[in-house]
Amino acid sequence: MLGYYTRLALKSFGRNPGLTALMVLAIALGVAVCIMTLTVYHAMSGNPIWWKNDRLYAVTMDNWDPNQPWRPDWTGPPPQMTYKDSQYLFASNIPERKVVMYSVDGVISGVGSAAPERVSTRLTSADFFAMFEVPFLYGNGWSASADRPAQPVIVLSREENEKLFGGSNSVGRTLRWNDHEFRVIGVLDEWFPRPKYYDLNGGNFAPPDKAYIPQQWGIDLALLNNEDTDCWRAEKVDNYKEFIASDCVWQQMWVELPDAASRERMQSLIDGYWAEQHKAGRFPRARDNRLTNVAQWLRDNKVVDNDNRVLVGLAFAFLALCLINTVGLLLAKFLNGATITGVRRALGASRRQIFVQHLVEVGAVSVVGAALGLLLATLGLAAVHHLYAAAHLGQRGGYQELTHFDVVGVVWAVILAVAATVAAGLYPAWRIGQLPPAVYLKSQ
Amino acid sequence: MSLGVRPILSALLRNRTGAVLVAVQIAIALAVLVNALYIVVQRVEKIGRPTGIDEPNLLMILSTGFTARYQEVASIEEDLSWLRSLPGVVAASAISAVPLSGSGSAGALMPRPGAPPTDSVNHMEIDEQGIATLGVHLVAGRNFRHEEIQPPLTENNASQFVPEVIVSRALAEHLFPHQNPLGKPVYDLLGQSATIIGVIDPIMGNFPDNPHPDWLYLMPRLPAPFFDGVHYAVRTQPGQRDTVLRLAEAHLAKSNPDRVVNWVRPLSYFKNLSYLWDRAMEIYLLTVTALVIAVTCLGVFALATFNVSTRTKQIGTRRAVGARRRDIVRYFLIENGLITSSGVLVGCALALAAGYWLSLEYALPRLNLYYLVGGVLALWAIGQLAAWQPARRAATVPPSVATRTV
Amino acid sequence: MLRMHDVSKIYRTDLIETYALRKFSLEVAEGEFVAVTGPSGSGKTTFLNVAGLLEDFDAGSYELEGTDVRRLSDDARSRLRNERIGFIFQSFNLIPDLNVYDNVDVPLRYRRLTAADRDERINSALELVGLASRMKHMPAQLSGGQQQRVAIARAIAGDPAFLLADEPTGNLDSLMSRQVMDLLEQINEMGTTILLVTHDPELARRAQRNVHLIDGQISDFRAYEPRAAAVQAAAPGASGAPGSAFA
Repeated sequence: MLGYYTRLALKSFGRNPGLTALMVLAIALGVAVCIMTLTVYHAMSGNPIWWKNDRLYAVTMDNWDPNQPWRPDWTGPPPQMTYKDSQYLFASNIPERKVVMYSVDGVISGVGSAAPERVSTRLTSADFFAMFEVPFLYGNGWSASADRPAQPVIVLSREENEKLFGGSNSVGRTLRWNDHEFRVIGVLDEWFPRPKYYDLNGGNFAPPDKAYIPQQWGIDLALLNNEDTDCWRAEKVDNYKEFIASDCVWQQMWVELPDAASRERMQSLIDGYWAEQHKAGRFPRARDNRLTNVAQWLRDNKVVDNDNRVLVGLAFAFLALCLINTVGLLLAKFLNGATITGVRRALGASRRQIFVQHLVEVGAVSVVGAALGLLLATLGLAAVHHLYAAAHLGQRGGYQELTHFDVVGVVWAVILAVAATVAAGLYPAWRIGQLPPAVYLKSQ
Repeated sequence: MSLGVRPILSALLRNRTGAVLVAVQIAIALAVLVNALYIVVQRVEKIGRPTGIDEPNLLMILSTGFTARYQEVASIEEDLSWLRSLPGVVAASAISAVPLSGSGSAGALMPRPGAPPTDSVNHMEIDEQGIATLGVHLVAGRNFRHEEIQPPLTENNASQFVPEVIVSRALAEHLFPHQNPLGKPVYDLLGQSATIIGVIDPIMGNFPDNPHPDWLYLMPRLPAPFFDGVHYAVRTQPGQRDTVLRLAEAHLAKSNPDRVVNWVRPLSYFKNLSYLWDRAMEIYLLTVTALVIAVTCLGVFALATFNVSTRTKQIGTRRAVGARRRDIVRYFLIENGLITSSGVLVGCALALAAGYWLSLEYALPRLNLYYLVGGVLALWAIGQLAAWQPARRAATVPPSVATRTV
Repeated sequence: MLRMHDVSKIYRTDLIETYALRKFSLEVAEGEFVAVTGPSGSGKTTFLNVAGLLEDFDAGSYELEGTDVRRLSDDARSRLRNERIGFIFQSFNLIPDLNVYDNVDVPLRYRRLTAADRDERINSALELVGLASRMKHMPAQLSGGQQQRVAIARAIAGDPAFLLADEPTGNLDSLMSRQVMDLLEQINEMGTTILLVTHDPELARRAQRNVHLIDGQISDFRAYEPRAAAVQAAAPGASGAPGSAFA
């Protein structure tokens, strides 16, 4: 019977090709706009390490100004820590893994005849790679013993290794970083978490760093953070020593806590430290020390911005408009064919059979509309990607990272097609099924 | 034939589903149209704010020393004198951060020592050519002199202030309302003071997204090497920017082996990146608005066409009893007007509700009512236009249809 | 076969009630050919709609082949229409974008039949009406008479117990009318009960029995003599379908 109904639907499309094209186009446009917005929204709201949501925590302490929060629109502790606080907590053995880090721009030179180049470099600790599950192409990260005193070891991103060593296994080769000799011990595989949850200071969708070295190097070479450094206290900071002892926040700290018990112990360690410091005159604000999981971290940092919520709302309003439009057109079309439906009813078609016949017709319109919508969305996303990429002069990072069409788009297309059929088709198909058979037979 | 509204209305009410659907479309269209355009206009205004900077003719350079041999001051002097000697260059200055780029420095600045700190104030370090390079207008006081330019901060005096500053008019007005700021001291968090020697206006600093992007003060000092290096701003004669850019790129890459020139880029690149999302929002919202109008037009057109085709006989009868062509056209246009009006009525409520939601999301002023009035008029016009062709076609139905059976 | 007793059908609007059928009673026996006549507005179409289970009625009883149709659900009525009743309309009501074959197929599609079974029924129905050679034609390519014969094939393809014909010759010229009437008589002789609704006394005269309706009530019965030479009157080739089985 489905085959028969499909054939009837095709006949019906042939009867009003213009009207059918209009309906398909209306659904396609609605679906396309929705898929585009949802793809971007999905990329924005993604949690790239969701499976560690109950293990991985950002550590923050509210050391800020008693008179105002870190930023006017911010509640809670600043997202980064002071050097001294992070170092105190880093000494703890409670976490299974722990990382204190920041990011600088270092100049890599001394590789063949390549010109020196400034690359963003993460100054981090040994657990970084295991903690954030960073994939390696060659070699490994460094062990905790290389953290302090800092060993001259460097891990390169796949991209950087391609640039410097033509993509070959460069483990064991040497290069100069800020004019100090380093030995390559590992090369990462392709790794581009979106959003860049472990460090949102340089932009939510910034590309990952191109090189990784032990954090102590930064302190030894007196390097400042190339992203945000925020200070509030009126304290004289004339040199690096005073800086790392100051209340300025610039260090990012993450811990991996396998269970609730270790979490509680970590929390009480932090709170105990806070109480001690509070007594000594630091931490003037109310106690607010946090262990924040990744999902909450992304929310706190407002990775999905208001614009995107507005766009999703707008997209669905537009889809609703398109569907209502289609309902109107379908109803008009179906009622136009009421005489024929009356004949079918007279010849013994039941209400259900008439309903299903018309639903098949609507379904066909929706499926074709959704498929076309998928195509339009792909083109639209490519256009948006082009717009962003052009502004970035071909470099990676930023909003262009949100326009990758993925399986989510296809899933949404299917869901929207079904929803469109149900929303746009049920009423007209039901309405036509309810027509009394006699009325339209003699009315010509 | 009576052309009053009442008979049309009662005819409408008897066959209402189609009419209701079109009215709902018009309601949604109004809500989307009005709010989307309201957001677009705000973005256009945001992007179009005056910066006071000669944007099209500026290019920016970032140079970072990385060896122990690197001499910051000597390098800056050498680079600047070379840049300033280039044909087509109007002025060049060392500068601590790229204007309009979203990154730079900010801190508290107070009119009295110990006064409650203001919202953080953006500041930049420039030299005596800085103002000429940016192209901003000095509206009061004087520029920095060459001998006033301080050497870069070092590892030993990083918290030092400067003796003189030039402030933006907006900042001066904030610190010293309705007073002449020239000669007045301003204080940093540590209580160190500087004297205001000049006022510039208009100006936008490093942070276009800040609540006060025009609160800015300039310090006469060469940038310290320990952030990401030293930036140069180079202002060229109109049309010379890209030539100078290529020359600078080629020369600076080789002139000093103890530093790298990370990039040489037009200022417009940074501005574009800062406003990329706003621009994308504009394009996206305008596209969706255009689609909304198109789809609504089609909906009105299709319903009107359907109504005409199912009422051929009725139209013929009306013609047979003496209705003129324009009476028929008027009938359908009035019918469309009634549907549009009811849709617009609901749409106003919907638009205001959506506007209220947006004002909560964005913390923006509520929807301006002029937009609503404009939207209502626009949809009225759109509705009448879309119904025009079917109404004209209805008018061509011959009166003889009335007597035909099929 | 068909038994209506005191059937009333009232059309209501806000202001008035109109009796389309008023205590209407009629019995039709199996194999009968009954003509229902009457002026326009007399209730002919309402009778047809009620008899054909297209419309419900307000009072009285109606049994079709022993089934009280009043208690039936819409689905059951659809099923009865499909399996026991064949319809022939004044304006043919062929589905314009289906070809002849598919038009005849329409009622069969609403039953559980194998494709082969349907094909056989369609072929034999079309052969009976003399249009087997036109099965790929679209309705618009056929004359009025041919279209009505397709409609008749569609009505009988499902092998119904009785046929309801509503002014079947109303849109046809006299020659074609005669062919259609001949065909109906032939079908009747094969055992199908026929109810013919018409305002034309000439046509009605060809039925075995005539029921005259005025204002929703039967005003008189007239029985005619059984037809004699009717079948022979259809001359070979007159249908415009050379070589058809109906010749």
